[in-house]
Amino acid sequence: MMMQYYEVCERELWFLSRNIEIDRENPAVVRGTHVDDETYEEKRRNFSIDGTISLDVLDDGQVLEVKPSSSLVEPAKLQLLYYLWYLDRVVGVEKSGVLAHPTERKRESVELTDENAARVEDAIRGVHEIVTRESPPPAEEKPFCESCAYYDFCWSC
Amino acid sequence: MDRNYHVFSDGRLERNNDTVRLVTEDGEKKYLPVENAEALFVHGQVDYNTRLMSFLDDHGVAMHVFGWGDYYSGSIMPKRGQTSGQTLVEQVRAYDDPERRLGLARKFVAGSIHNMRTNVKYYDNRGHDFASIVETLEDCRGNLDEADDVDEAMGVEATARRAYYSIFDAILPEGFVFGGRQYNPPNNEVNSLISFGNSLVYANVVSAIRATALDPAVSYLHEPGERRYSLALDIAELFKPLLTDRLIFRLVNRGQLSTDEFETELNSCLLTESGRKTFSKAFEETLEETVEHPNLKRKVSYQYLLRLEAYKLKKHLLTGENYEPFERWW
Repeated sequence: MMMQYYEVCERELWFLSRNIEIDRENPAVVRGTHVDDETYEEKRRNFSIDGTISLDVLDDGQVLEVKPSSSLVEPAKLQLLYYLWYLDRVVGVEKSGVLAHPTERKRESVELTDENAARVEDAIRGVHEIVTRESPPPAEEKPFCESCAYYDFCWSC
Repeated sequence: MDRNYHVFSDGRLERNNDTVRLVTEDGEKKYLPVENAEALFVHGQVDYNTRLMSFLDDHGVAMHVFGWGDYYSGSIMPKRGQTSGQTLVEQVRAYDDPERRLGLARKFVAGSIHNMRTNVKYYDNRGHDFASIVETLEDCRGNLDEADDVDEAMGVEATARRAYYSIFDAILPEGFVFGGRQYNPPNNEVNSLISFGNSLVYANVVSAIRATALDPAVSYLHEPGERRYSLALDIAELFKPLLTDRLIFRLVNRGQLSTDEFETELNSCLLTESGRKTFSKAFEETLEETVEHPNLKRKVSYQYLLRLEAYKLKKHLLTGENYEPFERWW
């Protein structure tokens, strides 16, 4: 999940790395979990690899990442690329991926090109730098802040 | 998700299919929709079984029990609340660092003095002359910066509260004589109302803390273990003037509660069942009142302010970002 948060909000990444729990009642969280649980139910298997990453693989061998909507596509794509990168560089299996927005009936194929691999490696360094900080990056107002589960946590001051 | 249900009748609380049912002693059945409940407040004598407990637990609903004396008896909290070892460690670290603990203790006192002062100023503008009390509270707030340890901060709080309580007799109508804080058990009507109101604030703070991973027993102004949920005492301090005291003035001055609503025995004076009903109903209405939040840019209920306070404290403990106590801004 780290990659996705790195792209969306560095402060949220820091919270996540410290296991600062989100509000489970948040409607966006409930919806996201529901969409993820209810789609491709029959066709995917969940794998946990080296105890580090947990990913879903479809029957046809593609790695699956589900997004409840097509907003914040790039972060989801980076997350998927990280899985592909990990499989390729650490485990030694080459895979392709698919990014699915079930509510919009859209799917997009994702491949690990050299350019994408460099992007993943940059992000890994970035994530490391953030999560080793003593305190989180300061709150910064972003367009999607209001739908974030940490919104009240950040802004109640 | 934030409704409180108050049960005053004696009888039996039980699970009935997918809801909670109260069967009163004369056989009447009442249903409490549990889906959107935050907590049940039990004021009567009720029986219940483990099946009810598991059901409340599944729905994350707390049960706060009110008895005799100072009213609050205890809470049965759902196990499903959030837990986080990390949060507890940071909470204890802050407690164990004298500078940080004192810093937080001062914040709770500062906020609480500010909120007392708001009430005094309100009545100062409405036909009373409380200028000297306002001044005393401001002095207290100034002295707070010189408090070198938590005991001294507590002392400043006590001085401020004494000055604050001294206005009560002037505000309240004839028949209600306060004469200073007495509790366990309260000795007169005003003390009884303060005890009852504060115990409702306290129980609501316990519920609010439960929504975070904070441990309700690790506190800063009060000594941990002083009462079981001493962190709830710290936070409740900030909200008593807003939630309890203003409500007492309103109910008594408008004649919605009279001295008939109390039972006096030996050295105690306690609200009758109908008095408790009137007070609890008005208290719940107060919790539902809303105010525009300057940072969240939306309206939030008074009850949600309690939750936000727990979030703010948790954020301070886990990130080191500044904690500013709730100070009434409107």
